[in-house]
Amino acid sequence: MSEMPEAAARRAARLLRWYPRDWRARYGDEFAELLIADIGERPKSRRRHADVAISGIVARLIPTGLTGHAIDPADQVRASLASLGCLLGVFLSFGMAMWSQLAIGWQWSEPDTTATFAAMVLMSGTMLLFSALAVLAAVPIAWRVATRVARRQSHGLVLPSLLFFAGAAFLVIGSRHFGNGWPGTGGHPWAHQGLVPGGVAAFAWASTLSVSSYWAHPGALSSFPAAELAWMAVSPVAMIFLVTGAARTIRRADLSPGTLRYEAFLAHVTAFGMLAFLSGACAWVVNGGFGPRNLFHAGTIDMAGLIVMAVALIVSYRAIQRARHGSLGLLER
Amino acid sequence: MMFMAKETPQGDEPGRIEPLGTFGRYAGPATLILASLADGSKHGYALTKDIEAFAGVRLAPGTLYEALSRLEGQGLIEAMESHDRRRPYRLTAMGAATLRAHLDAQRRVADLGLRRLASSWGPA
Repeated sequence: MSEMPEAAARRAARLLRWYPRDWRARYGDEFAELLIADIGERPKSRRRHADVAISGIVARLIPTGLTGHAIDPADQVRASLASLGCLLGVFLSFGMAMWSQLAIGWQWSEPDTTATFAAMVLMSGTMLLFSALAVLAAVPIAWRVATRVARRQSHGLVLPSLLFFAGAAFLVIGSRHFGNGWPGTGGHPWAHQGLVPGGVAAFAWASTLSVSSYWAHPGALSSFPAAELAWMAVSPVAMIFLVTGAARTIRRADLSPGTLRYEAFLAHVTAFGMLAFLSGACAWVVNGGFGPRNLFHAGTIDMAGLIVMAVALIVSYRAIQRARHGSLGLLER
Repeated sequence: MMFMAKETPQGDEPGRIEPLGTFGRYAGPATLILASLADGSKHGYALTKDIEAFAGVRLAPGTLYEALSRLEGQGLIEAMESHDRRRPYRLTAMGAATLRAHLDAQRRVADLGLRRLASSWGPA
């Protein structure tokens, strides 16, 4: 084994790149030895490449808390909650785009199908639930961060907090600006006759302008005002800032075991909310009708949104399972 | 039914035996690795060859090391000092207890299945 064929060593080195740096530092040398021996015995093996790629991706996912590796229960809950926060960001980006489309439609006329009506009620109720859950989840974290800042123990929290507030401020200001500028909702005299207040609908619509099928139609996109195009391009970045800041704050806030169990409980409730919202969205997309017949038609972007939301929900379920596992570990302490 | 020892959060005593839930698709490879290490320490390549010999299964390198890292993380195996790039692993006391519990459970299932087969289909 000491006489490494150069070609096998190079291939082993390339395969090792699938793994994160920490993993390579711990297992890299011995794993490369095994790979070189394996390449020597089976020079052409697609199965080996696929196996290494999958295992490498799994190793890269260890910090997300989704993989089932043995880690400290508190770290497990923190990592799972942070992952759930990111997944919820993706879920809500597409969900809010759908919901605002329906909310705006209802500003002008009532839905003409029972499915759309039921979907809108369910999705609006779930949005209220998400808002309440966000407040309930944020209060203890904000309190913890404030306490640490007051005690001058804010090391590691300043940057994620700034990231969160910068993203949130940018999204709120931008959404207010572009929401007010659109005549279909808040500023229109016919508005405020739907299930959702026009201002709220306009805000949700503007904050998710980037979730649009117009990206596939550059000709139509080029007719948009430059400021709106810039907003469509930049607002997702602000959303990433917000979600990343929140996730990192959760991981670094050094929350107590009791708070972590409380947050894990809220995560459970969130899963039910996501399921209810997705059910409503499905009911609308399946039964609400396609084609530009009315204000409630479902388009291709909504189908794509459903798929993304379903995937986000499945992975979120895994995150919640892992948070519960860590939560039980905390109880044993 | 598969079992796996879990380290108690408080200390490093051999933990209680609980159903295996966290290894997922790596449960099978983990069992083979523990069985291979039961008669002494081995490095990655030796593990692959031994498992291939006694089980007829060739563990792919990525799968082998994913299972090894999980077993090490659970405290069921430990890495030994090495003077070259190949690092041997050995079973810990907790790993031995886990393997014993797991194999006992498998034997009970196998015995029951064989008895039922014999009563319904006759002896082999």
